[in-house]
Amino acid sequence: MIDWEPLILTFKLALITTVLLLFLGIPLAYWLAYSKSKIKPVIETLVSMPLVLPPTVIGFYLLLAFSPSNTFGNWVSEWLGLHLIFSFEGLVIASIFYSLPFMVQPIQAGLSSLPKQYKEASYVLGKSKFKTLLKIILPNIKPALLTGIVLSFAHTIGEFGVVLMIGGNIPGKTKVASIAIYDEVEALNYSTANTYSLILLIITFSILLIVYLINGGYLKKMNR
Amino acid sequence: MIQLLLHKKLHTAKGMMPLDIDLAITPGEFVTLYGASGAGKTSTLRMISGLLTPDNGKLVVNDVVWLDTSKKTNLKPQQRKLGFVFQDYALFPNMSVLKNLEYALEKHQDNSIITELIDMMELGELQHQKPSTLSGGQQQRVALARALVQQPEILLLDEPLSALDTKMRIKLQDYILKVHQKYKLTTILVSHNIGEIIKLSDRVCLLEQGKIIKSGIPSTIFATHQMSAKFQFTGEVLSIQKEEVVFIVTVLIGTNVVKVIAQESEIANLTTGDTVIVASKAFNPVIQKVL
Amino acid sequence: MNTLTGQISTIEVNGSLALITTRVNDVFFTAIIVETPETASYLKLGATIKVLFKETEVIIATQTPEYLSLQNKVIGQVTQVDKGVLLSKLVINTSVGDIVSVITTKAVNQLGLTKGNHVTAMIKTNEILLSE
Repeated sequence: MIDWEPLILTFKLALITTVLLLFLGIPLAYWLAYSKSKIKPVIETLVSMPLVLPPTVIGFYLLLAFSPSNTFGNWVSEWLGLHLIFSFEGLVIASIFYSLPFMVQPIQAGLSSLPKQYKEASYVLGKSKFKTLLKIILPNIKPALLTGIVLSFAHTIGEFGVVLMIGGNIPGKTKVASIAIYDEVEALNYSTANTYSLILLIITFSILLIVYLINGGYLKKMNR
Repeated sequence: MIQLLLHKKLHTAKGMMPLDIDLAITPGEFVTLYGASGAGKTSTLRMISGLLTPDNGKLVVNDVVWLDTSKKTNLKPQQRKLGFVFQDYALFPNMSVLKNLEYALEKHQDNSIITELIDMMELGELQHQKPSTLSGGQQQRVALARALVQQPEILLLDEPLSALDTKMRIKLQDYILKVHQKYKLTTILVSHNIGEIIKLSDRVCLLEQGKIIKSGIPSTIFATHQMSAKFQFTGEVLSIQKEEVVFIVTVLIGTNVVKVIAQESEIANLTTGDTVIVASKAFNPVIQKVL
Repeated sequence: MNTLTGQISTIEVNGSLALITTRVNDVFFTAIIVETPETASYLKLGATIKVLFKETEVIIATQTPEYLSLQNKVIGQVTQVDKGVLLSKLVINTSVGDIVSVITTKAVNQLGLTKGNHVTAMIKTNEILLSE
């Protein structure tokens, strides 16, 4: 019998990270898609950094930032009572940084490819920017939102380097599935490692397959 | 009364073009902006609606200042009471026809106007369909109805009929005239179609390189000369055919096809699709009652 | 369309009709129109105006007939004959310039019209259009 805790922890982390990323990603993508600001390329670059940087680099700098010996880490721990190193909260924040481009980029692309006339037609009809976003823009970029949600979720499930740097390996707190697999392999428990791996493989495959089916319109075709 | 004074440097494909529009429109007037693409017609409509901000200028609508750059007044598009029909309709794809119209309602507005517009535009059978399932002409009727939900005094139409075939275009022109008269609208149309302009508008403004170079009654502006012909129509050349020593030009006037005998010199610069005036003296046609 | 340019020499108005005489070189053209100096600004004595008439409305005679109701007559010489099966085109050189006439080939044959013939071109008063 395997220990289910790492798997549950993995999905809990992925779920919380994805929900928070959705609320953070929409305004950020909106700004990136429509802003003409000069600092836009800088922000775009920063958002994309996790795509190319080794996760350990992100983990390393977050570790430094979160450290209580540091001004920021000290402030967080004193004012918010949060200890971000070797804690689940810290993992969530690190995961948000780590998966940010996977949420922001699909939504930004969706917004950019949506004809601006929809937005303008809504404004001319007297509707506010917020109502336009909620009722017109978001419903018309559903495939992009779905892609963003699923990619962020799947990417968070697969994270390893960042978790290792910032979360360590505390059972029930920071020991997620990817770490557990590494642990089992280290301990030469290949069959347990295989079970964890297989479960992750099947779940990730299923999630991605569903997204491609929905965005490709295959499910609708089957209903007809 | 609408007073427009708009200046803006536009960046076009051909480089910088200054737009300079000075125009006064009386209530109830149907004005058309005509000119080559890139002359600044659409930009003018966008500046009236607030979607584009001029570098400097003034826009006063019925004594309300919508824009005055010298006083830094600039109402947002949301605050300007007007209807706008976009060139590619811009119907919201996620909403049915009915939902598109309902979305346009103002807070606390009575929705009886929706029923009225659906009846007038003959959208009853289409109201639960999504825009993507409609034909171009149907989408255009929905767009026109949606622009009228808030019962604006001003209606802006940006080449609304350019994508439609001739038959549909004529039908839609009738709808536009109908709503213009029924709701006592002040309408500003952007159009390329001379026949359409003569049929619909009280006044046409010729735009060239961002400036109004000529303005007046369409039939006078487009006819190069005044002629003593009382039997005059504007139509579209459908075909030109040589027959012995003459040419037969087939012209579509409204929904009727007529044929005109012409000489080589007359058809020299004429091609299919051109807009022409077909004229004859009042003495020639015969008249007969239709039983 | 045959287009000639001349000056208005007389204007007779009755109700909404007007009879206009226009001098083109040494020839006078009379036109009846549903337009008066009040409704058409170009109707002024002495004003330069275009006299227009369709080629198919030009009648051809080999002599100048005195017993016809036709008011507009121009004498000239045929310089070109294009014969079709049913219709033919004639170009007539006159003192007001070239006038083109399209008549039936049958008529051309009956009158024996060929290049060099002297003919009279005639146009009915109600077939003449005036334009600025």
